[in-house]
Amino acid sequence: MTTWLSKFFILLFFLLPLGLTTGCATPPGSNASLVSEKILANEDEIMLWQKSEEEQRVLESTGFIYPNPELEDYLNMIIAKLQPQSMPADLKIRVKVIKSVYLNAFAYPNGVVYIHTGLLARMDNEAQLAAVLAHEMIHCTQRHALRVFRRFKDRRSFLTTVQQTLMANKGLQELARNLGFTGSLAAVSGYTRELEKEADRLGIDLMIKAGYAPKEALVLFDYLVTEIEREGLEEPFFFGSHPKVRERINNLQNLPDDRYAVRRPATKNSKTFLKKIEKVILDNAGQDLRIGRFQAARRGVEKYLRINPDDTRAYFMLGEIYRQRGQPDDARKAIKFYNQAIFLDPTYADPHKAIGVIHYKKGHRALAKKYFELSLQLSPDSPDKAYIQAYLKQCAQNGEG
Amino acid sequence: MKKIAWVAFFIFAASCLSCANTGGIYQPASYSFTIQIPAGWRKIDNNRYLFVTKESPFLQYVMVQNRPISRSFRNTEKKLKTDMLPEEAAQIIVDEIASDQNILNFAVLDNMPAAIQGHDGFKILFTYNDQKGSKFKTLYYGFIKEDTFFNLRFTAADQVYFQKDIETFKRMLNSFQVIKAKAA
Repeated sequence: MTTWLSKFFILLFFLLPLGLTTGCATPPGSNASLVSEKILANEDEIMLWQKSEEEQRVLESTGFIYPNPELEDYLNMIIAKLQPQSMPADLKIRVKVIKSVYLNAFAYPNGVVYIHTGLLARMDNEAQLAAVLAHEMIHCTQRHALRVFRRFKDRRSFLTTVQQTLMANKGLQELARNLGFTGSLAAVSGYTRELEKEADRLGIDLMIKAGYAPKEALVLFDYLVTEIEREGLEEPFFFGSHPKVRERINNLQNLPDDRYAVRRPATKNSKTFLKKIEKVILDNAGQDLRIGRFQAARRGVEKYLRINPDDTRAYFMLGEIYRQRGQPDDARKAIKFYNQAIFLDPTYADPHKAIGVIHYKKGHRALAKKYFELSLQLSPDSPDKAYIQAYLKQCAQNGEG
Repeated sequence: MKKIAWVAFFIFAASCLSCANTGGIYQPASYSFTIQIPAGWRKIDNNRYLFVTKESPFLQYVMVQNRPISRSFRNTEKKLKTDMLPEEAAQIIVDEIASDQNILNFAVLDNMPAAIQGHDGFKILFTYNDQKGSKFKTLYYGFIKEDTFFNLRFTAADQVYFQKDIETFKRMLNSFQVIKAKAA
């Protein structure tokens, strides 16, 4: 674990028990009912909602939102399925997607739930999505942010710590600047252990009532923990943090077995779910590739290919992952995937050019020339045209003209 | 990039009263290059990059940098390598900029090979908006020499300042000389 992460958890270790745990209004293990009283009864809650709206305005005006209305409709349809009957009219839960490869979902107290493309792309079915959304919904319906807010003594120090944590991560500096107190609490540190436990427990209830397979929550968190361990991910957010995800697993494993006993056939909806998020998976893999997370990018593309086995762009992207990573034997693997893309679409210019580049770098100029020429024939106005022409000129100077 | 402009702005504002307009060949002690600073432009040299502007960093600036190829980027984990083709280096720069959440509507208008004083490199022309919606245009030149990545970029507020000062930047580019491949 890196130094900043250690410092962050040490600070949280001291801050949270002092400031928060004593303030938990719900005794552990109690079967808290969903909010039935009129929400926004107090001034501080009104202020908290206003703060949330301000933070959301900033967040959404700065290009973080993944623009896909059809996907949002689908996510909000799942929210509607999960919605408890006792929901107060003032609280309207809705979901938005954030363009970020990091594993996270978080809810503002005013009912806006944000889920990262990185987390969506790791899920396999609707039941797993429902598990995360239900957990986040409970934070809203049980007013967890308000409970923590009322007890938190040193918000500025907390915010500084969270921002420093985020700033240390690639591509998160701007998000760090835009997350205020409520966003940081929801997205990074999470609430108190007991409140999170309540969200796990009541979230499972919502899943079951909506007819989803509750065990899928465990399957998802098991997968996340395995990926975090296997790939040595050091992510700053709640669902990307090894101890936090491990805690979700422990909480769910400790639920009585009868909670999982579903009377009717439980839904997973894998096929519909994967079709709905297939673009997210490929876009997220593209972003992983862009920021140099080659292994995560590869897993994303491989998952996409299981949904669309004949997608030429995906094979090309696999080739790109290996070519750009540039480890021993990667050139051979890249050529294999470029060839697969060419096999599926012989008119696809990009893999021809990419194979040309690999041969060019190895000094196989005759082979390189063949691929470059083919690529230019297939796409005479390619944006790479100037580079290809420069390579061809170099090949000619080396006697391959 | 916005951050760079802000840092430069504060240093620029603080130094404005005391610093005279520069001009002539400049050879910073900590860099391995020389460059001609246009008359009437002001420079800020912070040991990591040389920053030159005429009116304000928010209107136009030229930034020159020699960085060790091993130095990490802010937004991508990708690393430059000594044996990279100019196109491969350009791709990393594009990925770095495209992953910068300060930058909106990033669009590459041109990306092509370029010789910078005899060094094989690349040039990228791109536009973007900052968080406040202002539009900027950048012409970015770069090349790798041994273990150093040299880059020179000209950024200006949209079309007017870009057109006004692009020739000055090209003169600076033509005056650029590597004197030794030692990264700052």
